Amino acid sequence: MVDSALAQGLPMEEAPRMPNAAVIGLISLAGAAAATCSLVLALRNDTISADIGEPLVIALLSVWVTTSYILCGLIAWWHRPASRFGPLMIAAGFANFLASLAWTTNEVVFTFGQALDLLPPVLFLHVFLAFPSGRLRGRFDRWLVVTAYVTAIGLELVRMTFGYFGPLNLLEITENADAAQAATRVQLTLVSAYCLTGVGILVARRLRAGRPLRWSLALLADAFGLALVMIAALLMSAAWGGPAVQQIRWATFAALSLAPVAFLVALLHSRLARSSVGDLFVELQADPAPADLRAALARALSDPSLTLAYWLPNYGCYADQDGRLIELPDADSGTATTRIDQGGAHVAVLLHDPALEDESELLSAVTAAAGLGLENGRLHAELRAHVVELSASRARIIDVGQKERQRLERNLHDGAQQRLIALSLELSALEARLADDPEARARLDQARREIATSLEELRDVARGLHPAVVSGHGLEIALEQLAARAPVPVTLAVDLDGRVSESLEVAAFYLVSEGLANIGKHANATTATVEVRRLDGRFIVEVVDNGGGGADTELGTGLRGLADRVEALDGRLRVWSPAGGGTRLRAEIPCAP
Amino acid sequence: MRAVIAEDSVLLREGLARLLGENGLEVVGSCETADDLLLKVRSYSPDVAVIDIRLPPSHNDEGMQAALEIRASHPSVGVLVLSQYVEVGLAMKLLSDSADGAGYLLKDRISDVKEFIDAVQRVAEGGSAIDPIIVSTLLSRHRSDDPLTELTPREREVLELMAEGRSNQGIADKLVISLRAVEKYVSSIFGKLGLPSGATDSRRVLAVLLYLRS
Repeated sequence: MVDSALAQGLPMEEAPRMPNAAVIGLISLAGAAAATCSLVLALRNDTISADIGEPLVIALLSVWVTTSYILCGLIAWWHRPASRFGPLMIAAGFANFLASLAWTTNEVVFTFGQALDLLPPVLFLHVFLAFPSGRLRGRFDRWLVVTAYVTAIGLELVRMTFGYFGPLNLLEITENADAAQAATRVQLTLVSAYCLTGVGILVARRLRAGRPLRWSLALLADAFGLALVMIAALLMSAAWGGPAVQQIRWATFAALSLAPVAFLVALLHSRLARSSVGDLFVELQADPAPADLRAALARALSDPSLTLAYWLPNYGCYADQDGRLIELPDADSGTATTRIDQGGAHVAVLLHDPALEDESELLSAVTAAAGLGLENGRLHAELRAHVVELSASRARIIDVGQKERQRLERNLHDGAQQRLIALSLELSALEARLADDPEARARLDQARREIATSLEELRDVARGLHPAVVSGHGLEIALEQLAARAPVPVTLAVDLDGRVSESLEVAAFYLVSEGLANIGKHANATTATVEVRRLDGRFIVEVVDNGGGGADTELGTGLRGLADRVEALDGRLRVWSPAGGGTRLRAEIPCAP
Repeated sequence: MRAVIAEDSVLLREGLARLLGENGLEVVGSCETADDLLLKVRSYSPDVAVIDIRLPPSHNDEGMQAALEIRASHPSVGVLVLSQYVEVGLAMKLLSDSADGAGYLLKDRISDVKEFIDAVQRVAEGGSAIDPIIVSTLLSRHRSDDPLTELTPREREVLELMAEGRSNQGIADKLVISLRAVEKYVSSIFGKLGLPSGATDSRRVLAVLLYLRS
């Protein structure tokens, strides 16, 4: 949870304390008193029925909004003391009450209540945008809400100076119908616009999350959005004399009171979700190392996007259970992180939907239950990481060796071999000039022969270092030479459709070379087949003879080296050699299609 | 007879140029890249181009590609490819469907001046020059039911020289026998292998090589 607080760029706080029971009781009492007061004021006010319709309906809706927000706010506060959302809801409930003070007959109280007439809509906007932490998220949200407060209260005061609020209005300076109407329209239109902007922000947030919300949260978000749209509709209708203001007003109050209900439903849902922790416990106790702990946790938290990142201290990084590296997301990536420590040591991190922060108890319960399987999972991840690292390093070693041999071959080719040929050519030229000295000619000829022998030896060395013809002209050309020099007639079938990677080509070349050489040594074969092809993303090399079989299928030293090379490319080398049934050498290596 | 040379080693390029110059060929251009070679072939229309198979920049198959391109676009220019390894596959690729004016030799061969100049001249005149290693590699693939086993040792020698691209006269000189005797051997070989006789020197090279490879 601390991580998520940091992720929102807020300073660390002391552990939040549960609100005092006495405070809760006091607020409840105050709420009840406020609701009663609104009810009485509405019923005793004569002008309500003329201004805004059926007093009893208005009174009951207003009281319902006040009490439901205060009640839900108290529950939210009790449930999540760290969040400001609860107090904010309580404030919204009381603001609704304060606005209803305009129904009084006392001048001072009326003036106060009337000045706060548009405070509730803005507070609702504030509440909805601040869900779930109770804090506004960005600079724009804060600007929007502050501006809305200033507009709602500031313009109300301006309006009141122009009169038309009845005899109780202490702020009236003059009676100016045009000015009053203009101020009213500007104020209501602006506040509507702010509410609709709020709807836009809610929609954008939901789109950005990119994941479907759990249904209870979706319901809550819908309730927020609906309430804001209704407020905007009501204010616009009131400002520009739209139709059915009264019905819209009732609908707005009803929509507003949906939000606390949806909130309670969401709360209940997450309480119910906690029963899944029990299932998780049972599952983990039966098998402390389930094949996929992540999936079990994702089920328990009903967050399919959940990622479990094990901390591997030896590598100083996070990895999934197969040892693949996991980068923790940035603070503003829309993914929240929860640290899991055991016995003072950091074990893992959960990457999850930020909405889960709203259900910290569920999250804590699940992570506590996960403790049973975590250590096993972490060891598994570490082992897998070792394997991944080892195979990568084996591939690297072979690759580096290959590159080095290739470089040596190049050096021999461009250096010693060329020089020897040039030297031999020079001796020939010299020989031609010594036409009348047979002894010198004979010795030069001898020297040339020596050079020719050296060249042949060098050629063998260079060829052993790296099959340059494979890199230069492709596998098929190179294999043709191997087949031509093989001890038995070879049928060669290369079906590649273009070149494959050099490491594959070189591996195939060595494999065929070794396979054909082995046939010469001990297979008693009369023919052999070499097949190279690509099939379903695999590169397949086969050397088959019709000899006696019974060859040692435990790979001998020559084949062992080849197997290493093939395995370093993630492939497999197999040998079949049933007695009397010939020998089949087959390598399968994954390759891009 | 006019020649161009493509070889990236300075030492060898100059050595080759001198060798050809001293033996009656006019070296009209020498260069170290395939592009340059193609330019010179276009500009000078030489009788023969002597090409190192590994040319810059990658030293992979640039020389070979240039040789194939010259064979396709300038059929009158003989192409002699030199390499430090000779490969059956590359020989067949170079010859493709004709051995006219094509040669493929181990680079070492240039120090045997007489043989080498002979090969260059053959290729320049539209004949062929195939490295003995290629021929012997192909010949070494034995099969028990092979008509090759019916050849006498002398016929085998003649077959090898024929596959290298030599004319009957060349074979006669090499084996120190009469032209007549060579002709007799040749027709006997063609009869035993079931090949149509009477082809030109380079035609029969391809026929023999294809026969040996099959």
